[in-house]
Amino acid sequence: MKYKTRTRIAAALFILPSFLGILIFYIIPYIICFLNSMYSGGDFTGVANYAELLENNAFWLAMKNTAVFMGVGITLLLVISFLLALFLNSFRKISAFFRSALLIPVIVPSASLICVWQLFFEDNGVINGILNSLGMDSVKFFSGGFSVVMIIFIYIWKNCGFCVILFTAGLANIPEQYYESARLDGASKLKTVTRISMPLITPTAFFAFLMAVIYSFKIFREVFVLFGDYPDENVYFLQNFINNNFKSLNFAHLSSASIVFSVFLILLLLLFFIFERKRNFLE
Amino acid sequence: MKKLKKLKKLPKYILLAAIAAFFLFPVIYMLAMSVMTSEEVSRILDFSSDGFKSIDLIPQVFSLEQYYQVFFRRADYLLEFWNSIIITVPTVIGQTVVCALAAFAFGKLEFPGRDKLFFVYIILLILPTQVTLVPNYIVLNNMGLLNSFLAVILPGMFSAFGVCLLRQSVRYIPDAFIEAARMDGASYINIFLKIILPQIKGGLVTLFLLCFIDNYNLIEQPLAYFNDSEKYPLAVTMSEIGVNDAGIVFACGVMFMIPPLLIYYIGQDDVSSPFTLSDKG
Repeated sequence: MKYKTRTRIAAALFILPSFLGILIFYIIPYIICFLNSMYSGGDFTGVANYAELLENNAFWLAMKNTAVFMGVGITLLLVISFLLALFLNSFRKISAFFRSALLIPVIVPSASLICVWQLFFEDNGVINGILNSLGMDSVKFFSGGFSVVMIIFIYIWKNCGFCVILFTAGLANIPEQYYESARLDGASKLKTVTRISMPLITPTAFFAFLMAVIYSFKIFREVFVLFGDYPDENVYFLQNFINNNFKSLNFAHLSSASIVFSVFLILLLLLFFIFERKRNFLE
Repeated sequence: MKKLKKLKKLPKYILLAAIAAFFLFPVIYMLAMSVMTSEEVSRILDFSSDGFKSIDLIPQVFSLEQYYQVFFRRADYLLEFWNSIIITVPTVIGQTVVCALAAFAFGKLEFPGRDKLFFVYIILLILPTQVTLVPNYIVLNNMGLLNSFLAVILPGMFSAFGVCLLRQSVRYIPDAFIEAARMDGASYINIFLKIILPQIKGGLVTLFLLCFIDNYNLIEQPLAYFNDSEKYPLAVTMSEIGVNDAGIVFACGVMFMIPPLLIYYIGQDDVSSPFTLSDKG
């Protein structure tokens, strides 16, 4: 057999288990979901479900909140992590203890920490105690606009460490000579960051971005355990919308919302790909 | 002169310590509260009382009462903990194997449509659970798997994320290694076992850890696929325990975080190494 053909057969066999699983548990469900979104009560209704969805206020609220959370949360997470990584990079070596400290939030299960968060954020919790002793007014974290602040805080606390580890690894991969010659040319510190570190770290940034997106959905667990099925309207996310429609067995709403949500995400990803085209992650 | 240099570095170290404290604090706080008596914990968690909560890291009375309750008195929590393990361990092992196989093909073998297929994987990677929850319910129902542990284990074994992560590690391996082995007449399965696997150890450990945490924390799937509340893993009950059983919540939380911490402790030298080019040996 020819070398090329053998390689192809080997590749197919190596991918087969994963592909079958992905087909059964992702692609087929996805097709079912799409078909479901075209039916209502057993009748084919085409895009009627989508039209109805677009008139649903709860859906728009969820969509808006999710977009705000993702926009602010992911940006903050990546910026803070990058700055922390730059700071850590100025040390010769990061100790094992410190690395563990960074990764602990990722490792500790969400469910373990609920009561700790409640103690911090409740109306008469630790944070409000501190605010009051400083002569400021109490903040209500479980209702009103500050609830999203709390969720973003928990999101960053939880995922920052892992992103920092990713970024420090990426920074460590940049050859020292680049900085050396930039310094010789009299480049400022800020310039070396924007012209050397940032462009060269993009493959890592891409991975960190993917992680940040994936983990931004997982924050739903925290929302769910802290607020229950019907959270404050500021943290009513698409996942809540989908979850509640799941409970009320409203499959039409559910499927169309799922499809709209996925299209929204795929567009986001495509945008990122176009943005990143010059240093293609796939190459 | 040397002393001055050290002094200049002091603010940096203080900042470093502050960062570490920021990330560790909630966990330390929980550990501290897990050795308090149930009464003290109930009092702390009683939000209807007046006055603000303060941070008490030192218990009034040191007590292992909570742990005693969890391990010897409340069989239900131990059973749920066991459910978590039964669900998580096979999922994680399966996922690591399946993803490693696919990552090798995506990373090192040439075949038509490879990058397109990989792009499909990336798209699937970012779709949240909630999107596939119901369609998966239909698929699992047709397979007759609902209300069995397999309903959570099987879908969990296949993840696009694992493939992406391990592919990244596989790509760092020089092509020359594989070419040389091919010349010596090694089969692909041998190359996979003898060359690829040892080289991507860091990636495997990282995936194992992340995947473990992820599946260990599942709430949505068990709630949707199990009728039987006896099959619920601990993560599901933990989310309500603060209301129902406040007295032992912290010991339970500590017990719950031990397995992932243990895995991290064992594999810590390899975590994050998949993202560095250096010290690949």
